[in-house]
Amino acid sequence: MVTVTNYLSDGFTLRSWLTTHDHKRIAVLYMVAITAFFFLGGAAATMIRLELATPQGDLVSADTYNKLFTVHGVVMVWFFLIPSIPAVLGNFLVPLMIGAKDMAFPRLNLASWYVYVLGGLFTVAALVAGGVDTGWTFYTPYSTRFTDSNVILVILGVFIVGFSSILTGLNIIVTVHKLRAPGLGWFRLPLFIWANYATSLILLLATPVLAMTLVLVALERFTGIGIFDPALGGDPLLFQHLFWFYSHPAVYIMILPAMGVASEIIPCFARRTVFGYRFMAYAILGIATLGFLVWGHHMFVSGQSMYAGMVFSMLSFLVAIPSAIKVFNWTATLYKGSIFFSAPMLYALGFVGLFTIGGLTGLFLASLALDVHLTDTYFVVAHFHYIMVGGSVMMYLGALHFWWPKISGRMYPEMLGRIAALTLFLGFNLTFFPQYLLGWLGMPRRYHEYPPEFQLLNLFSSAGAAVLAVGYLLPLGYLGWSLFFGKRAPANPWGATGLEWQTPSPPPKHNFEEQPVVTRGPYAYDPVR
Amino acid sequence: MPTIPFDSRLERREAALLAMWAFLVTEALFFGPLFFGYVHGRIANPAAFVSASHPMHVVLGTLNTALLMTSSLTMALAVRGAQQGKAIRLWLALTALLGLAFLGIKASEYWMESSEVAKASGAELTFYFLYFAMTGLHALHLTIGIGVVAWLWRHAARFGREYHAPVEVSGLYWHFVDVVWVFLYPMFYLLERYNA
Amino acid sequence: MTYVLTWLALMILLALTCASSYFPMGPWNTIANMGISCAKALLIAIFFMHLKNAGALLRIAAFTGLVFLAILFGLSWTDYATRQISPAPWQDPAA
Repeated sequence: MVTVTNYLSDGFTLRSWLTTHDHKRIAVLYMVAITAFFFLGGAAATMIRLELATPQGDLVSADTYNKLFTVHGVVMVWFFLIPSIPAVLGNFLVPLMIGAKDMAFPRLNLASWYVYVLGGLFTVAALVAGGVDTGWTFYTPYSTRFTDSNVILVILGVFIVGFSSILTGLNIIVTVHKLRAPGLGWFRLPLFIWANYATSLILLLATPVLAMTLVLVALERFTGIGIFDPALGGDPLLFQHLFWFYSHPAVYIMILPAMGVASEIIPCFARRTVFGYRFMAYAILGIATLGFLVWGHHMFVSGQSMYAGMVFSMLSFLVAIPSAIKVFNWTATLYKGSIFFSAPMLYALGFVGLFTIGGLTGLFLASLALDVHLTDTYFVVAHFHYIMVGGSVMMYLGALHFWWPKISGRMYPEMLGRIAALTLFLGFNLTFFPQYLLGWLGMPRRYHEYPPEFQLLNLFSSAGAAVLAVGYLLPLGYLGWSLFFGKRAPANPWGATGLEWQTPSPPPKHNFEEQPVVTRGPYAYDPVR
Repeated sequence: MPTIPFDSRLERREAALLAMWAFLVTEALFFGPLFFGYVHGRIANPAAFVSASHPMHVVLGTLNTALLMTSSLTMALAVRGAQQGKAIRLWLALTALLGLAFLGIKASEYWMESSEVAKASGAELTFYFLYFAMTGLHALHLTIGIGVVAWLWRHAARFGREYHAPVEVSGLYWHFVDVVWVFLYPMFYLLERYNA
Repeated sequence: MTYVLTWLALMILLALTCASSYFPMGPWNTIANMGISCAKALLIAIFFMHLKNAGALLRIAAFTGLVFLAILFGLSWTDYATRQISPAPWQDPAA
């Protein structure tokens, strides 16, 4: 059998991986790193759900519990969710999908991975040194003055990893502008590209604000002087405005790429072109823009003026519109389709449903009157987990399955894939649906103990977390297995459109034997009408 | 020179310019929260900010502004020189020297101001916090810029009509650092000078 | 040469901004200083940074940064401009 060189067989030493300029290898490096952080954040979640299985705070102390939810939030947001689809799938697929040989700046790409790892090391160091108990939101004055946990160390970690995000975003933006294949105009681009492009705009515009805000917290903590201290004429709410100016768009960094993935998977397994392509593209841009205008909805009860609250509430309702358009369009794409329930399709359909529920509950929270009761309760926790886990994580896994043949050159076992998707869906709902009820009943978030009447729902939630864990461990197992024993994959196992499927699985080092030329639009699945 | 994945030098140069502008946008947003803190402080504590600004050395600050804007001129001339294939070392050297002069004056100001800070209280401390944070961050960026210009000076022979993107891109960065200072100068030196 | 003229304009504006701060004009001092800084920044961006000759893409990129800074300041202003301090009955009225 003739061995063809591909990007995986181009050098087997560790050194060849750690000094690579190949975007595909860098994507794999990111995949390994974020998987490690995912399980670290998951370990914290396991401890949290174990503690909350009983009403008494008997497993860990209140201080330790605070440190657990802080590490869960910090690791999951900055070291898993934000890089997940853009840095893994984006890095791998963007050049392939646009017919380019690599990203615009390959060395900068490698640098971004090293910066990610460095940020991760600082964060783990903070954990080892005893952790942080401020919550991932670092509110002042607790973080600047009153806590004695390792705030500055963890801030350094997050500050550093922010630069990794910025470099990734910069690379994607320049690549999409400058390296598209001949014939590939903007409105022939796959929606995955649109989604990662918009995400990269947010990465560039929002992350620097977070970086400086965290620096200001660290400086105030270190010197005792700063802009958040009312005694010096400052304002703690300045922190919240600055923090949420980044952190709200950050949630769109987490969901837009997932929407891009859904727009690739659903047309493929419905054998239909996506419904309303232009509206989908405009909706992506609309979400990215409007997402910058709504941050005050995290501050309705903080002391912010009521007038500002009303402005932010109205803008928050507006941002639901482009998201809803996308949900309608994915659904319409299924109409008269020839649907095949592959594992990626199960993940994608689960995504559409769970994202819808999460999004609708966001509207509850956007309503000022309701938010007064629901804020800082488990309702909020359920809302964002529906979107971040039911949405982003499901699509990250769906994407891994869909493009696994391209990335690894192997097929994963399809039946196991479907079982894992269903297990995840069931486990997820069992974990997080009860939390909506708990929040509505008044259980506050970030508490390690609660009144006994909340126990039954908490037990359901903790049981669900166990099922969810199985849903995560299964793919870890069979995807790893498939690397050695999986069936070898053809170039296009799904019969999908897109330039990435026109090259072998796995692709050669420079992606294409000849420069592809594009002559038609994306998702050409419909027969000639 | 690696030109993978670009098809031509022109494409690579355009990509470099776009990348630097995108990076400068991130830098503008990086300085943003500091400006935000200043605006809040100035509106909430006008008297304290004014009184804290009076001991500032307006002559040195004005001189520094002139030096930095002149260095932007010399940098622009270096960029034009590179584009036209002419000699650029003189302009680059002048740019770096003007930048170093700025830093020297700044350092001496810091030395003199540290005793003022000890006497400050309340929102005056916030003024000084912002002053040191913003001008310090600016000085850090300027130092990096001087390093880059020195590197360009060292490798000046490489640049000419065919290949000058690194000089252009460094020029953009240098001018951005100048623009930031253009805003910092009145914010810290020119508050009610008629009462000083 | 355009560059030298730009430099000259910058120097004149510098003299203007410095001198005007010695005349009491109330809020107009700040407005004048900010306006002059914006003018200087525009001169540097248009002439030294070549935005005058740059394609639409680079101009849009530059403009975008300003727009989002404006959003940060503007929307936060809806909070800061409309806060009403309601002291509790037992508080010192001056607080």
